[in-house]
Amino acid sequence: MASQRIGELDFSEPYGIHHRINNPSSSLINDQGSGFDFGELEEAIGLQGVKIRNDETKASFFTGKPAATLEMFPSWPMRFHQSSIGGTNNKSGGESSDSALSSKNENPFEPESPLSKKASSFCSSDQLQHLQLQQDMTNNNDVIKTASSPKSAHEKRKGGGSTSDNKPLDAKTLRRLAQNREAARKSRLRKKAYVQQLESSRLKLTQLEQDLQRARSQGMFMDWSGGVGSNISSGAMFDMEYARWLEEDNRLLTELRNGLEAALSDNEMRVMVEGYLCHYDEVFRVKGVTAKADVFHVINGGWTSQAERCFLWIGGFRPSEIIMMLIQQLEAVAEQQIMGMYGLRHSSQQAEEALSQGLDQLQQSVVDTIAGAPLVDGVQQMVVAVGKLANLEGFLRQADNLRQQTLHQLCRLLTVRQAARSFLVIGEYYARLRALSSLWASRSRDQTIITSDENSCQTTTDMQMLQPSHNHFSSF
Amino acid sequence: MNQESVMHYQVDPWNYYMMRVRRRRMEEEDEMERVMRIVSESAVVIFSSSSCCMCHAMKSLFCGMGVNTMVHELDQDSKGKQMEKTLMRLLATNSTTLPVVFIGGKLVGSMDTLLAFHVNGSLVPLLKQAGALWL
Repeated sequence: MASQRIGELDFSEPYGIHHRINNPSSSLINDQGSGFDFGELEEAIGLQGVKIRNDETKASFFTGKPAATLEMFPSWPMRFHQSSIGGTNNKSGGESSDSALSSKNENPFEPESPLSKKASSFCSSDQLQHLQLQQDMTNNNDVIKTASSPKSAHEKRKGGGSTSDNKPLDAKTLRRLAQNREAARKSRLRKKAYVQQLESSRLKLTQLEQDLQRARSQGMFMDWSGGVGSNISSGAMFDMEYARWLEEDNRLLTELRNGLEAALSDNEMRVMVEGYLCHYDEVFRVKGVTAKADVFHVINGGWTSQAERCFLWIGGFRPSEIIMMLIQQLEAVAEQQIMGMYGLRHSSQQAEEALSQGLDQLQQSVVDTIAGAPLVDGVQQMVVAVGKLANLEGFLRQADNLRQQTLHQLCRLLTVRQAARSFLVIGEYYARLRALSSLWASRSRDQTIITSDENSCQTTTDMQMLQPSHNHFSSF
Repeated sequence: MNQESVMHYQVDPWNYYMMRVRRRRMEEEDEMERVMRIVSESAVVIFSSSSCCMCHAMKSLFCGMGVNTMVHELDQDSKGKQMEKTLMRLLATNSTTLPVVFIGGKLVGSMDTLLAFHVNGSLVPLLKQAGALWL
């Protein structure tokens, strides 16, 4: 590209004209191997006479300028400008610029060649000679470029065609072409940046849309329940928060699994395990907050799947059951740890028993209050009953507290890896419970369709179909 | 007598105020002493209310562990209200806190603290130390 070429020219300019004299010859000599022949050079040199005759603007160059090389060509400052940009562009993008620059760098040390001597013998005025050499070098570099980089640059130039040997290569045209190229490159870069910006904004937009949808669905619940009270919205909100918690849970469990498989260091695993504990602390906190607004929703487990709900204990899992499952499923557990886990299970069982008894007594008390109310004007008793029901929140809080303490104690008893594995086991168990619920739901759907046909054989096949899927889970 | 107190008020309001403050503090100290006296009488003392279900849960917990506890039903005590306030002050909380348990004369706390200790494994040694458990 001409701009690159010009950039190279001006890159060498600070070194003085001498290097420029050396340049064409040495670059010619360097690139001999790529098939350049002297015939083209002769032609180029021959054209110089034509150039001198054709270009009147060159007159300004001869108007008594001192020997200071740099001041000789007032038009060149533009190229300085371009070259500084062109130079940087070369560094960023040029495929042939490296070879050109390298050849340029070699040039200052090349000895004077016969060509330079020949060039100096052409004209009387040194200035004119310099100018011609400049042009010659430009032209030669054009040709050299063609020879040295036979790939796309060649095609580009040929395709571009603007700087082929047909047109007179005067400085003005060259400058104009170079500026055009620069402008084109700049606009290409600008376009690229703009497109990238657009892409990122598009991603952001989709994200925002999703968030908006989520918030709007939440907001809709708020709007509907405006008159009824906040019960509906807090329950629905909790369902949504729980769904989000489940997603986060999946992500954390995958991380734990990958960490175990990759055999990360204990410290890294500890960080992950503690992060997972915080994750569980978070769900207990949210449950507590929701229970203040709607305790029945949390205690009855409307936010769980059907199978989970069946085995629910005061709005969540039974810690002793979980520990028993872990004792059975965990491998490579030391004797002392197993004893500790049995002890933990025992304490948990006692606490569960106590809380269950307290809850039973609460139920009994509420029932007595309501049943014992007079048929007419039993408002007093209803108020008392409502007051007693408020204790439910306390029981839920204690149950969640028990679950939280059990999980923390479990992490204290086990090593980091064992703790990670136990979280994985618990997560897997709940995932299977949820899968069981959906399987059961689909099975009962099929069954209703089948029993409407009153075909008992098909129900048995349906059960048989269900068996393999149960066996699938047997590898606990 | 009324005149006297009125006169005192008119004549020496600051002293009267200080007298009131001192009396209240003495009462509080009395209450505290009373509570301390009660809790030192037995290894495990539960301050509860007969109608509170969480108190029933705590009692069941100790029963299940085979621990004999002394239960103080505050709603059946004449000074129950004041004692409840004292307990609230001890626990540094403003909400109703029953049940509250003391083991070996020292404050353990409410139900959640007790459960935390139990899951921790620190409850049984504490009970043994207080002499409430012998196994």
